[in-house]
Amino acid sequence: MIRVSNLTKSYGSTRILDDVSLEVRQGEVTALVGPSGGGKSTLLRCINGLEDFQAGEVAVGDVNLVGGRPHPTADLLRLRKRVGMVFQQFHLFPHMSALQNVLSGPLYALGESRAAAEPRAKALLERVGLGHKLDARPANLSGGQQQRVAIARALAVNPAAILFDEPTSALDPQMAKEVLAVMRDLAEDGQTMAIVSHDLASISRIAHTIHILERGRVVFSGPVEQAFGDDGPARRLMD
Amino acid sequence: MTRTPHARAAAALAVLLLFPALADAQELRWGTDPTGGAPFVYKPPGATEADPYIGFEVELADYLAKKLGRTSVLVDGLWKSLPELLDKPRTGEKGIDIVLNGYEERDDLKAKYAATVPYYVYRLALIARDDADFRDWGDLKAKAGQVGVLGESAAAVYAKRLFGEGRVLESDDVENVVGMVKDGRLAATVQDGPAAAHFVKKYPELRTVGTGRQPGYYVIYLRKGDDRLRAQLDQAIQDGFADGTLQRIYRKYGVWNEDQEWLAHRYTGTWPVPIDQEELAAEAGGGSIRKLIPQLLKAAGMTVLLAVTSFPLAMLAGMLVALVRVYGPRWLGVPLGVYVEVIRGTPLLLQLYVIFYMLPKALPALALDPLYAGIIGLAINYSAYEAENYRAGLRAIPRGQMEAALSLGMTRLTALRRIIVPQAFRIVIPPVTNDFIALFKDTSVCSVILITELTRKYNELYNFNRDLVVELAVLTAGLYLVMSYPLALLAGWLERRTGTHGGTR
Repeated sequence: MIRVSNLTKSYGSTRILDDVSLEVRQGEVTALVGPSGGGKSTLLRCINGLEDFQAGEVAVGDVNLVGGRPHPTADLLRLRKRVGMVFQQFHLFPHMSALQNVLSGPLYALGESRAAAEPRAKALLERVGLGHKLDARPANLSGGQQQRVAIARALAVNPAAILFDEPTSALDPQMAKEVLAVMRDLAEDGQTMAIVSHDLASISRIAHTIHILERGRVVFSGPVEQAFGDDGPARRLMD
Repeated sequence: MTRTPHARAAAALAVLLLFPALADAQELRWGTDPTGGAPFVYKPPGATEADPYIGFEVELADYLAKKLGRTSVLVDGLWKSLPELLDKPRTGEKGIDIVLNGYEERDDLKAKYAATVPYYVYRLALIARDDADFRDWGDLKAKAGQVGVLGESAAAVYAKRLFGEGRVLESDDVENVVGMVKDGRLAATVQDGPAAAHFVKKYPELRTVGTGRQPGYYVIYLRKGDDRLRAQLDQAIQDGFADGTLQRIYRKYGVWNEDQEWLAHRYTGTWPVPIDQEELAAEAGGGSIRKLIPQLLKAAGMTVLLAVTSFPLAMLAGMLVALVRVYGPRWLGVPLGVYVEVIRGTPLLLQLYVIFYMLPKALPALALDPLYAGIIGLAINYSAYEAENYRAGLRAIPRGQMEAALSLGMTRLTALRRIIVPQAFRIVIPPVTNDFIALFKDTSVCSVILITELTRKYNELYNFNRDLVVELAVLTAGLYLVMSYPLALLAGWLERRTGTHGGTR
């Protein structure tokens, strides 16, 4: 589904990602964990074409992004219709209601008619537990509610995979729980997801596979059970 | 720091204050506006700062001063506010004894100031290109073409009455108007006789058409109650005509003609027919403020037209400039940055001059109607300010907004249109409203390119209705306020409507 091969990215002389390779399979929930500054979020942004990289390759379905040159606009557009993104700071559109936010992808990116898109958008908001907040502006929603709208917005363009960049880090524990419940629901539905997170305990209950990044390198890749096993590398991170 | 110098200064000051006559009784301070130009008061081409002014009124003033045993001192001021200088003490800054600068004999002025006997008889002359296809005033009236005049002059009043208000364009700068006739951009211009004589001599391609019309007197204004000075001046003027001194001066500047002959005869008692002189004040709309209101309203309509046509253009251009500067390629952003700095760093007045007067000289096809030149000039000028407003607005939108839109699969252009610009628009409503209100008032600058809008109309009415100065000012200011306040309300409403708070909409 998503394959990253030998990806290398630097800002000036600082190497952020160093020869990173990993794969996210169809229907798999992948967690990217590791200490701050390890390059997790940057990797996610590279996968979605929000960042250029110097070398290596990102393949999503039949779209290939190659490092070392600017990505062609047409490739980026195709790629982003396959890969949705949920941000730490939600980035809802403040001038639109919750429903309009969810509709923005179908209407402005996919070119669907409002009549066609609206029932599905409402259903998505219902699914994330916000069917009663269709007309609310982001400013009038709690952080957890905003993040759930953002998830519905990402789902609305029918992406094959969704990338979560620290989805609960800006939330208090109660709100984080709401968001995690939605994510678990999606995981059980077989949604392909890649999640960058610090919250190892919560993530271990959702993810199938764990990749640990330290200083731009993948130091561990394997099943959750192994990572969180008695001597697993994830244990070390939690301590 | 002893007390003595202070005491001395105080004593000297007391003398000056108590005995102003002692201070400068030997001067004849005459108020004039040298920018009015030849042949009245001017400097010849090539003259330096230090060279004295020349002109038939300079020599007239010198003659009068000599007759009164004083020295002539030129005090410069704005032509239309010269009479106001008489309201101030003669000893102060810009203090004057008399106003001497082609001022017509008018009832509204005579109500406030004393006037001497006439020193000159002027007629209005019609000036056109030598190859013009009309032979007389009536011919031109039947034909098309616009007529330029000096704003707020008797010529302006007469031209509007004869040709209709729509065909008459007013400017403060006689040179410009005459130049446009020379270049074929105006059909003709109506000028006072002396100015006409000067320009026809200066530009061989121009000639006067038909005979002079609407005769009137130039008189000298002074303070009411200055009876002794007035009697002296009256005597000096009449003596000057009688002994030929004025004829010599007027001939030197090419402004002596039959009318002056007649005036000379009148003073010497041998000419029976008085000139009919009554109409001027009446046709200028003088009298009641009620008669002036429709004129002000009509001019206010022009102000509104200029503002509501130019500002949307400025907003559109400004938004495009800002978008390219923030989101576009550098090779386009840098020149646009230069554009913004040049446009907002130079005066609107100058830009209008360039668009209206200079460009057509380089490329005749660019000769625009004043209205279009005004709209384009205002739009260009304000586009620079709007570009900066929008740039600030765009920069205030977090980067995540663009990234979120892109990650949904929108193109950059769609993201700008649907996500970024609507948010920036809301942020800039207050500063943009502010600029719209400023532009409303800046439309007054368009009077330099012959557009009669509210401020020019105010000046014109003010000039002929000195008895209604306060009412006119209040009324004009009130009109501007009435026009701009609804804009402030509209902006507030827009801000609420597009707000990010407030649940539903």
